[in-house]
This record gives sequence, C-alpha cells and structure tokens, in this order.
Amino acid sequence: MDAVVLNGVTKRFDTLTAVSNLSLRIREGAVFGLLGPNGAGKTTSLRMIMRVLIPDEGSIQVLGEPVSERTQDRVGYLPEERGLYTKMKVREVLVFLGALKGLSESEAAQRAQSWLERLELAAWSEKKIQDLSKGMQQKVQFIATVIHKPPLLILDEPFAGLDPVNASLIKDIMLELREHGSTIILSTHRMEQVEMMCDAICLINKGCNVLNGELRAIKQSYGKNTLRIEYSGDGDFLEATGLIEKVNRFGAVVEARLRPGADPQEILKAALQRGVRISRFELVEPPLNDIFIEKVAGAHA
Amino acid sequence: MRKVWLVIKREYLTRIRSKAFIFTTIALPVFSAGIMIFSIMMATRESDHTLKIALLDDAGFSKIIAAGFTGKLKNGQPLFQLVRTIEQPQSDQKARDELADQVRRGVLDCYLVVPKGVLEGKAVEFHTQNPGDFQTAAAIRGAVDHAVISQRLSNRGVQVDNLSELVRGAGFTMVKIGKRGESQEEGQTFIVVFSLVMILYITLVVYGVATMRSVLEEKTTRVVEILASSARPFHLLAGKILGVAGVGFTQFLIWTITGVLISTYGRAIAAAVRPGASVPQFHIPLSLLIYALLFFLAGYFLYASLYAAVGAMVSSDEESQQVQMPVTLLIVVAFLLYPAVMRDPASKVSLVVSLIPFFSPILMVFRIGLQTPPFWQIALALALSVATTVGLVYVAAKIYRVGILMYGKRPSLVELLKWLKYT
Repeated sequence: MDAVVLNGVTKRFDTLTAVSNLSLRIREGAVFGLLGPNGAGKTTSLRMIMRVLIPDEGSIQVLGEPVSERTQDRVGYLPEERGLYTKMKVREVLVFLGALKGLSESEAAQRAQSWLERLELAAWSEKKIQDLSKGMQQKVQFIATVIHKPPLLILDEPFAGLDPVNASLIKDIMLELREHGSTIILSTHRMEQVEMMCDAICLINKGCNVLNGELRAIKQSYGKNTLRIEYSGDGDFLEATGLIEKVNRFGAVVEARLRPGADPQEILKAALQRGVRISRFELVEPPLNDIFIEKVAGAHA
Repeated sequence: MRKVWLVIKREYLTRIRSKAFIFTTIALPVFSAGIMIFSIMMATRESDHTLKIALLDDAGFSKIIAAGFTGKLKNGQPLFQLVRTIEQPQSDQKARDELADQVRRGVLDCYLVVPKGVLEGKAVEFHTQNPGDFQTAAAIRGAVDHAVISQRLSNRGVQVDNLSELVRGAGFTMVKIGKRGESQEEGQTFIVVFSLVMILYITLVVYGVATMRSVLEEKTTRVVEILASSARPFHLLAGKILGVAGVGFTQFLIWTITGVLISTYGRAIAAAVRPGASVPQFHIPLSLLIYALLFFLAGYFLYASLYAAVGAMVSSDEESQQVQMPVTLLIVVAFLLYPAVMRDPASKVSLVVSLIPFFSPILMVFRIGLQTPPFWQIALALALSVATTVGLVYVAAKIYRVGILMYGKRPSLVELLKWLKYT
C-alpha cells in the first residue's frame, strides 16, 4: 500500500505556480527523499500533505484516505523553520502539542517524560524553552514531531543545527521508527544523507516532478560511469586523456565522469605513465549530487 | 471542538499565570482606590497655618472685610489674619510693590486690592503666589462678597446683623428618573457609567492588542506551522480569541466586583480616611452590568478578530504597531464621542453613533447608564454588533489562514482581497 499518493496536484499563489500537476506515490515503510532546489515547491508540497495548504487542483491521499483533519493527527511534521512557544515549559509544550495530535493529556505527559529521558533532557522538563540551547530546542521539537507515534513522518532538514552526536541520535530514532512500520518523508539538501538513508526519491524543480523512483534503480540507470580516484601527484592527467566529461575534486578524492564508451583502463594507463601514485581506483554509479545538479542545471539551461 | 478547547486552555492558563496579568489586575483597583482616597483627603484638606493678609483699600472697606474673615483652623487659631491695612495710599504702585515684596519674603501670604468703584462692579484683586489654591481664594472671595453686599444694603438703609444667613442660597437636589423609580443624584451616575465605559475601553484595547500579539508571537516563533498542521486555522483562531476573551472576562469580573465593593463600602472607607467628609452613595444597577457584559463580549469578539487579522498580516512588532492603528483608532473614536452622547443621550446623533457596531460596545453602554434607551435600540445595537462580528470573524479567519504562513512583505489591500479568495 502507498502511504501518500499525490494525483495531479497543482497549487498557485497569485501569479506563481508553486506546484504544477505533481503526481507521486510514496510506498509504505519507505524512507522517501523529497529533493529539489530552493523554491522548487518542496515546502508547499509538504504543507499540502499536512493539509496546512489545500491544493487548487488534484487530490491527495494520506495513509489510505483523502487528506483531512483526521489524517493530520496521524502525521508528524517537523517544519524547516523550527519554533516552539519560548515562554512555556518544555513539558507543557510537549503535552500541548501531543494533545493537539489527539493524545490524552496524561498519555502525552507520560510519553513526553520518557522521550525527554531518552534524549537526555529530563532535567530540563520544567525549564522554559527560551532557557534551552538551540540544539536542545531542536530535540524537543523532534519529540513533538514523534510523540503521537505517527505512521507517517515528514522531516524537513531534520539534522540542521545538530552536532554529530545528536544527529546520529536522531538518525537512530528515525530508523527505529521505520523498523516499526513508519513511513518517512525526508526533505533535505544534503545529498549524502539521502544516499545513505533513502529508499526512493522524487526530485522536483519549478513545481514539476523531474525524477522519481527507487534510488537504486535511478542510479543504476546511469550505469557505472563515474571514476572515484584517490591519488598523489599531478592531477592534470585526467583531463589530458580526453576521456573525461566532468571532474569533481574534493581534495583527497576525485570523482570523474567518463565520456560514453570511454575505457577506464586508458585512464589508469595515463596515470601510471605520468608517475601518479594511485591508492584507490573505483568505477561507481554517479553520486546523487551530480544527478541533482545535472537535472536542475539542465532545466535551467 | 476538542482542539479548540485545548487552544483555549493553553491561551488562558499561560496568560492568567503571567506576572503582567496578576500585576495589572491588582494594580488598577488599588490605583483607583488610592486616587479616590487621595482626592478625598486633598479636597477636604485644611491649611495648617493662619494666612497673613494685607489689604490695599481705596474704598474704605477694610473694616467690613476684616469682619468677614471668620474661618477657624483645627487648633482654634483664626484661618485669616489681617496684618496690615493701607488706606488710600499716596502711590498705588509703590504700595503694591512693597506688599508683593513682603509676600516674596514670606512676611505676608497674600494681599487684596479693593478699588474705589468696587460697589459699582470694579474687580477686587487677589494677589497670591499660589493661584491654584482654590479653597483659600473661595474663602477670601466669600468675605469680600459679603462685605460688598452688606455695604450696598446699608447704602439703601438696610442694616443686617447676620448677612450670611440672609444671602444663603436655596438648597438644590438633582433626582434621576430611572426605569423603576427615582433616586437622588449627586453626579454619581456619571461617575459610575464613565468608570464602566472606561473599563470597557481599556479591556477592549488591551485584550484586542493581546490577541494580535499572541497571533504574531506564534508567527515569529514559527510554532504556527506545527499548529496549522495539527488543527484547522479557524479552530486555532477561535481558540485563541476565546482564550484571550476568558482572560479579559476574568479581569473585567474582578474589576467590576471590586467596583461594586468599593461603591458599597465607599462611605465606610471615606469615613475611615476622613471622618465627616461627604461622599455620595454609588449604586451600579444590575441591568447595566449585564448589558455592559454583553456589549463587552460583542465588542471584544469584533475587535479581537480585527486585531488577530492584523497579527496574521504582519511579521514583526514594529509592523504591527503601524497596521493596528486604524483598528485602535476605531475604539478611540468610540470613546471620544462620549461627550456628544452625554449632552443628550436620547438625541438622533446619540442613537446613530450608538448603533454603529464598532462604537456600540462603548457608546450604547454609556447611553444605557445615563438614560436607558428603549429596549429595541439596545437589542438592535446588539444584533448589529453580533452580525458584524460574525462577518468579521469569517474575513479574519480567511486572512489568518493565509497570513500565518506568509513572511516578509506586508500585504497591500489588493493582495489582502486576493487572500480572501484563496482556497
């Protein structure tokens, strides 16, 4: 079954069409990456799935029924712009937001307590939100997102502003929720996170669906056309072969896109002739980052 | 409805527990009672020393005037003492300069100049360093009046022993004709009604602005997006308005109860502060309170929805200050129209302004208190208020649901109209 189905959804603001005839399906239990450049219509799409906005055209199904107030209660939403009532106490905020999602207040209080303990915030439960550090506020907000055990989670840049320890804490919880059957929609600009976590993606640009499918299938469709090389010595050899379409240098690692039909052996040969020391030479599928840039920049050109 | 209730509860509890609420709730009655006690004390204050007066007399009046200075201080000393009399001085100006100088040095407190034609209406001059001391001036004026009157009488051959007995005016009592009877009036109707309308005015502005700030706060902290993903915007708006209304209602109730207590025990308080001071008996009719409450609710919902819409339109406190001006101005205008209504509460002008939904919460209550209009007028005003409020809540909800997600540039009027059409 599909957790979310968008069918020809269009949303206009005055003269701007934020989302244009967008259709997509999100498989239940998947981690789904919603990608796109700034202003592509990601937040508008998420807001429509949350019923914060209502589409001008098309229909949306969430967890097997048309989107409604009832479906709202079964979704957890972490918006990109974070914020809580700064003058309320941590526990009060969590109980209020939990109750707003349909929990009884005693149930919400209980769950808030156990989540605060798990995220090492128990000592702060009677403190005001404004007394917490930014990272702690982020964690409280994450608790507010998951406190009602939503079968569908929508996370917009969930790791922004978190240190590596807290980021991995949140990541573990996300994966654990998926184990328990939750579907997760992840919206982020961090392509390496998408590659590590997502099963399927949808790339939208200017409100339109430009690339959609299982991540593995998408990458396979490009084939192993990229060389990942680690070396020491003169790097010019790559371009000199004339077999390279595009080079991405990250310092220690270089990713080079091969021209169609080029033989990677030729490149290895050229490197050895020039006396470059190779410590890694790997033929891989193109990184998502490149696919993203190609699809988006291609559309702009 | 459960979600509306949750929003109401959060709004009400966080506000009622805030220090600002506790402070204003206690401070206003304490402050008013303080002012009342203070003004009673001031009004009945007596000088603590004998006033030394000089008289510059061109009319030969000094003896009669001096006879009029009869007041006594608490300790039995005379209130006035005529320390010096200059009759028909060589140089008028020189004498004045000298006396003024003595006042400055503290030898004298004040001096009087009685000109020659005083009997024909020429003014007596009272020279003092403190023209604001009306009580002293009134006492001196009384003495001078008596002197002039008795002189005129004796010029016509009438001799009077006890002049003050002769010139005492008639007693004059105002009686207010109410619905159910008549009651003695010493200006207290106006004071009661005015205080009530003042409280209405303050609570409308304060809680209207509080609603606006509350909407804006959720917007600036961005918590509104989570709320909007958990409940319908209309429910959020309704919960907010009702929650703040609950707080305003609580405060209004505390204040009116205090008002009723003060008016009931006012005499006792005044008597304790200054025995013998005359204090009018205040009486707040129950019907007036009920009407005030009804109009408060109608007015609050009307203005709160306007203020909420303003809060949803803007993105910062500074902006909200500008945009709220027209709304606040409406309440201020309603309040400022009260003198027109006071002069003739039954006039056409009064009727018209008190039927305008934006004004009726204040002006209809004012009319009811002064001179209760026919019931149909009250009912019509209330009905118009409620109808307008329903319409405005609908519009405000539309603006709210679009506005809470809009940041940056404040919408123009044209854009605002477009918002109303968004699905």
